[in-house]
Amino acid sequence: MATPQEFLFRIKRQDSPDTAPYWEQFRMPYAPGHNVVSALMYLREHPVNSAGNKVAPVVWECNCMEEVCGACAMLVNGVPRQACAALLDGLPQPIVLEPLSKFRVVRDLQIDRSRMFEALKKVKAWIRLDHGGDIHRHAPLISPDEQDARYLFSRCMTCGCCMEACPQFHQNSTFIGPAPLAQVRLHNSHPTGAYDKEERLHAIMGEGGITDCGNAQNCVQVCPKEIPLTTAIGELGRQTTAQWLRDLFAR
Amino acid sequence: MADSLNAHFLSRKLHSLTGLVPVGGFLLFHLWENSMARKGEQFYNEHVVQGIGDLLNYKLAIELCLGAAILFHGVYGLVVWWQGRSNTRRFRYGGNLRYLLQRITAFTTLAFILWHVITTRIAAGLDEAVENNLFLHMQRIYEDPVNVVLYIVGIAGATFHLANGLWLLGINWGLTTHPRAQKLSMWACTALFVVITFLGVHAIWGFNQRLF
Repeated sequence: MATPQEFLFRIKRQDSPDTAPYWEQFRMPYAPGHNVVSALMYLREHPVNSAGNKVAPVVWECNCMEEVCGACAMLVNGVPRQACAALLDGLPQPIVLEPLSKFRVVRDLQIDRSRMFEALKKVKAWIRLDHGGDIHRHAPLISPDEQDARYLFSRCMTCGCCMEACPQFHQNSTFIGPAPLAQVRLHNSHPTGAYDKEERLHAIMGEGGITDCGNAQNCVQVCPKEIPLTTAIGELGRQTTAQWLRDLFAR
Repeated sequence: MADSLNAHFLSRKLHSLTGLVPVGGFLLFHLWENSMARKGEQFYNEHVVQGIGDLLNYKLAIELCLGAAILFHGVYGLVVWWQGRSNTRRFRYGGNLRYLLQRITAFTTLAFILWHVITTRIAAGLDEAVENNLFLHMQRIYEDPVNVVLYIVGIAGATFHLANGLWLLGINWGLTTHPRAQKLSMWACTALFVVITFLGVHAIWGFNQRLF
């Protein structure tokens, strides 16, 4: 493939949460090794659209630059992924950048992810330290096999790519989405986290919980961290079914 | 009590149970009994319609329960359908396509069942001539090639909905959690789909053996 003279970007912009989105094109001279974030940084320094007009710089979020924080998730040529890990070399042009469509746009490519954090709070995606036990004792042992399994789920960075791909997750649904469900799987399997297992399961057995999954299994296809989300959902299907039977017959 | 019952969770579980046991079970039985149409008019009318009909105790109660199960599965299914926003154009994965197909076949099956019940069970209830010779009645329906196509599409939609629904049930009830288990159950459900669709097509052929 011949090296292009420049990169052409088509960016979906929006000035505020309540105004209509519009498309704007930008050009950047070619340089090897660029990724989408470094290109956006160039456009911040040179906020001139392809018509030659000086415009407000494109707003986006980023943080770690190594695909572990989840902040720069956006649609790159229609694919939900981390902008920092999207290398420009090899991307078909024009490079189309859009905010994730399932969340409220704050400005341009910046979105409001608070729904994900509300979901994490709802399912108590944490380990209680103050649980009434003796905290000076050694932490309970976890087998290496279980450590390996849990590690996969601990890589979640709440980027929202799985929600973007999920047909059940949208602005009019109450579904909490795949990522928070996987955190229930993670924290339920921790020896101390298991103290709150029942509460976590009850939190996902109502409306918007595990039952609202349609098993399209797009989440596991697009997850940039290759988290076995559908395995977590299957295991939670088992845990919630057992919990439901316990609630019915063993209370 | 209300809390331990968990109405939302119970409805979802009932939705998958009603799809499998009364409705799916009846579909299997119904396609099997009608695949005996190949044995001819006399055998079908005497042994299938009369014979199996005589064996069924509490026939009206069974029919009412079946109707209630289909009604619940269908109406609650509409609620489930309403919650989804299919995105197969953007995400072209097999699972996503089956997600969409499960919803499309829900509607084709509902429409097909309505049409089928009105033109067979209710027609037989209204017209004694139809009731006395259901074989001839079916044969006449299949004289129109449009009806043959509608029946094949209707039956294949229903069998897909059942086979794929069984695969979904395995995940939702936590029987198949690992990708490997889900892959194996996919093979099993595909085999089920092929076998029961064959039974259905065989039944259509049985009524009008000049068809194929």
